[in-house]
Amino acid sequence: MALLTSGELDAHVDEVALLVRAMFPHEGFPEGPYRRSAKAIVDAAGEDARAVTQLRQGLAELAAADFADRDEAGRLDYLRGIAGTAFFEQVRAKVIVTLYDDPEVWSLLGYEGPCHEQGGYLERGFDDLDWLPAPRVEEAA
Amino acid sequence: MAGASIAERLGQEAKTPSRFDHDDADVVVVVGSGAGGGTLANELCRRGIRTVVLEAGPHLTADDYHEEEWPAFNQMAWLDNRTTSGGWRVARDFPNLPAWTVKAVGGTSTHWAGACPRFKDYEFRIREAYGEIPGANLLDWPIGLADLEPYYDQAELKMGVTHRHGRPPLPANNNYKVFANGAERVGYGGYATGPYATNAEPFDGRPATLQEGFNFQGDKHGAKWSTLIAELPKAAATGKLDLRADAHAVQITHDARGRADGVVYIDADGALRRQRARAVCVAGNAIESARLLLLSSSPSHPDGLANSSGQVGRNYMRHLTGSVYGSFAEPVRMYRGETMAGIIADESVNDPDRGFVGGFYMETLSLGVPFLAAFVDPGAWGPDFTATMDAYERTAGMWLVGEDMPQETNAVTLNPDISDQHGLPVPNVHFDDHANDVAMREYAWRKGAAVYEAVGALATTKTPPYPSTHNLGTCRMSARPEDGVVNGFGQAHDVPNLFVSDGSVFTTGAAANPTLTIVALAIRQAEYLAGEIASGGV
Repeated sequence: MALLTSGELDAHVDEVALLVRAMFPHEGFPEGPYRRSAKAIVDAAGEDARAVTQLRQGLAELAAADFADRDEAGRLDYLRGIAGTAFFEQVRAKVIVTLYDDPEVWSLLGYEGPCHEQGGYLERGFDDLDWLPAPRVEEAA
Repeated sequence: MAGASIAERLGQEAKTPSRFDHDDADVVVVVGSGAGGGTLANELCRRGIRTVVLEAGPHLTADDYHEEEWPAFNQMAWLDNRTTSGGWRVARDFPNLPAWTVKAVGGTSTHWAGACPRFKDYEFRIREAYGEIPGANLLDWPIGLADLEPYYDQAELKMGVTHRHGRPPLPANNNYKVFANGAERVGYGGYATGPYATNAEPFDGRPATLQEGFNFQGDKHGAKWSTLIAELPKAAATGKLDLRADAHAVQITHDARGRADGVVYIDADGALRRQRARAVCVAGNAIESARLLLLSSSPSHPDGLANSSGQVGRNYMRHLTGSVYGSFAEPVRMYRGETMAGIIADESVNDPDRGFVGGFYMETLSLGVPFLAAFVDPGAWGPDFTATMDAYERTAGMWLVGEDMPQETNAVTLNPDISDQHGLPVPNVHFDDHANDVAMREYAWRKGAAVYEAVGALATTKTPPYPSTHNLGTCRMSARPEDGVVNGFGQAHDVPNLFVSDGSVFTTGAAANPTLTIVALAIRQAEYLAGEIASGGV
């Protein structure tokens, strides 16, 4: 049973995406990965009575604290005050397994991910680091 | 299997028909198919001994494996419910995931990276070498390095370990270049790309590495030794192996004389089965092996089977562990190439002047973005965390693995309040760091950071232990029955046809990654058990 209507979901995704960026600020990231993470948070909450209630209450408090109108430092300040609460942890834990499991984010951070289909990294730079000398690979005599 | 990769073909060749009757009391039953159980099964089968292997997990093969970290974890990891207690940080961050082991054919040998140091002589007799350590339940092994050396040779030969017996080293990958140059500059000489059980050149019908870096995720290519593709296919080819996947052991049964006479298990269809046995060998990794002995209590063995010492489940060790990540001005791309093909051995000595007894290794380690985010500092958020992640491409990583102290109160017990999906009590894993563990970790973190700082690290991160991959000591070897669970061959003091065949038997943990030693002990145990069977002793 869905506990949120689709209209409510959409409204919450925007608010949550703002929250996720404030919590995990990556200057170079576009909106897409943050929105996908926010959608996953809202979707997961939509199937769980406690999670949806926590999310609604937490978002209402964010709004009351003018979270969206604060600058970055002001948002961090607010988040430090609520860190560790069930609402905060519900969001934080889900961001870890969604934002950083997003291939666009891998690419932004310089992680190429699975490589078996491409033949591994044997011919694709497994040893291309050139700012240090080539070290010994044998054990010391 | 036309067109199948070598790794896929070998994994399929490990499959067997159900060969032996449930009432055949002549078979040896091995519970678990990982480094210990899978090796033991092959060594028994090649001697003509009919062997049934019960593996709790599914028969995954190369084509099943995912390289993406979360899908691989969700597919392979032992995720049956477990609980934790004690002061270790894992109990807070991952309360239902004390250990990161595998539930599938091949066990955790499908997840291990491949580092293959041997134990050192003093590590078999640390009570003598270290003296009395308050709070530590120290005991010397009933065997020494000299007993194990011939079996280390056999293990290294069968696993194709690099740097050993004429096998070539792996080349330096990016992560190793940073690690080895840092080692050189701080004055460490004991660095190399191995010993490491992944092929630098084709060996034993398996290919050379493609430098993929996904040994933790099963290794789709098959360059890494695992029982799935290196031991069990050979065992299957003898016609003496009956490998049953999705077979979850419930209890070891015994006869009126107290001899093990079978294993009750739940099969893939949920049916309760009993396989009769001439001998039973338990190799379910240290948490499940202890749990199975505790679950095998009976009116005549009220505290569990083979537990007259009261030591079953106790002295649980998980190695020091910890990691250091260093970020640099220039790209590293640590994820390209063999994950753990880099070892610094200089700190693997007993030098109490450092403020602790025992030693540790530094080993290269890389996590992908998903796992680095989850494990670099569990619970972290905010700009410091995102700065760490933003540096991913310029980051090098190392793991710190060292000897932790056995403590009687660090224990696997049955949790009477919570049952698993089969209705069996789940294991609780209680762990508190010993003061020696804490001192060694602090020192190792500092030394690891110094390695990276010596080659220009802009920042270093000290990462706490992950859920345990090295699980040891819960059925320890002892010379005297009152001090431990099994003798020097892994044979239960109380039950002569019951054996333990995994890292549970480690009397103490040493600094080395345990797999090589588990394999060597399994080869030695198979030789002994075959002799006992031939002479009628078992």
